[in-house]
Amino acid sequence: MSLIKKILLGFLIVMMAIQFIQPARNKNGQVMPTDISKTVNVPGNVLAVFKTACYDCHSNNTRYPWYVNIQPVGWMLAHHVKEGKEELNFSEFGSYSARRQISKLRSIENSIRDGSMPLGSYTIIHRNAQLTKEEKALIINWARLAKDSLFNRK
Amino acid sequence: MKYFLLIAAFNTIILIACNNANSTTSKSENNVETKKETPVQETNTTTPVKDILTGYIQLKNALIADNGSDAAAAGNSMVGAFQKFDKSILAGNQKKTYEDVEDDAREHAEHIGKNGGNITHQREHFDMLSKDVYELVKAFNAGQALYQDSCPMYNGGKGATWLSETKEIKNPYFGKKMPSCGMVTEELK
Repeated sequence: MSLIKKILLGFLIVMMAIQFIQPARNKNGQVMPTDISKTVNVPGNVLAVFKTACYDCHSNNTRYPWYVNIQPVGWMLAHHVKEGKEELNFSEFGSYSARRQISKLRSIENSIRDGSMPLGSYTIIHRNAQLTKEEKALIINWARLAKDSLFNRK
Repeated sequence: MKYFLLIAAFNTIILIACNNANSTTSKSENNVETKKETPVQETNTTTPVKDILTGYIQLKNALIADNGSDAAAAGNSMVGAFQKFDKSILAGNQKKTYEDVEDDAREHAEHIGKNGGNITHQREHFDMLSKDVYELVKAFNAGQALYQDSCPMYNGGKGATWLSETKEIKNPYFGKKMPSCGMVTEELK
């Protein structure tokens, strides 16, 4: 067996082996009492945008694509979801301190406006997560109102 | 000759006495000086939020100089200051304020630390962080002269505040683009 064949075979074995290492899924299925909709008013049209464009990485419920079963793609996905949830988790929004909630709403507003969210690397695959001008304005306005309502409650 | 010796002895006594007198006065002067210094040092060290505030001032000065990487370093040192902070000794209003502010402020500092290449983003977090540090200083005292300044132009005209150790305005939101934009709104002691 030539060296190249050996290397290819080794690679194949490694690839097969890692398929058995499946990361835990981020799928809770239920609306937590700490969900953002229980803390501030989230109208239906805003929620719809959140679900298509944000919740995969920023909630406890990810809609998984078929290729999540192929490693190491699934690992990368799990890593993205973990990072996304650390930054902002809509399912646990209610557990943040009042100050942090206000800061998060500010950051939502800012990141939508400057286009840093949703991530380009995400929308390139999930074309429907690309926000239209109207959707962006909708989210920005909502974030402002929600922030003001929290501010007044404090 | 007898007189000469007497005078010489007398002179030496006077000289010694004078010397003593001199040294005692200079000693007492020293005492006065140290006494003057101690209270200043005390106020500088007594505030428990000193490390947090030091990091904040560094951060603010880095933003004034439009230096994102220095700002990031200062952000990281603030994260360290929050981690080191002993909140078990707090009680009452201080405890309440600290717990209210901690998570939020630390997260802003973390973001500033991670975004050395994106000063615009650092400034967004600095805006929110400034409010948190203001609350801390209000509850714990600054331990030094501190001013709250306001920049009416930042945030698309909504304005933003910051804290400064100097009375002179140096704007951290616009840096060299608009260094003197702003005004002192409160003097904190």
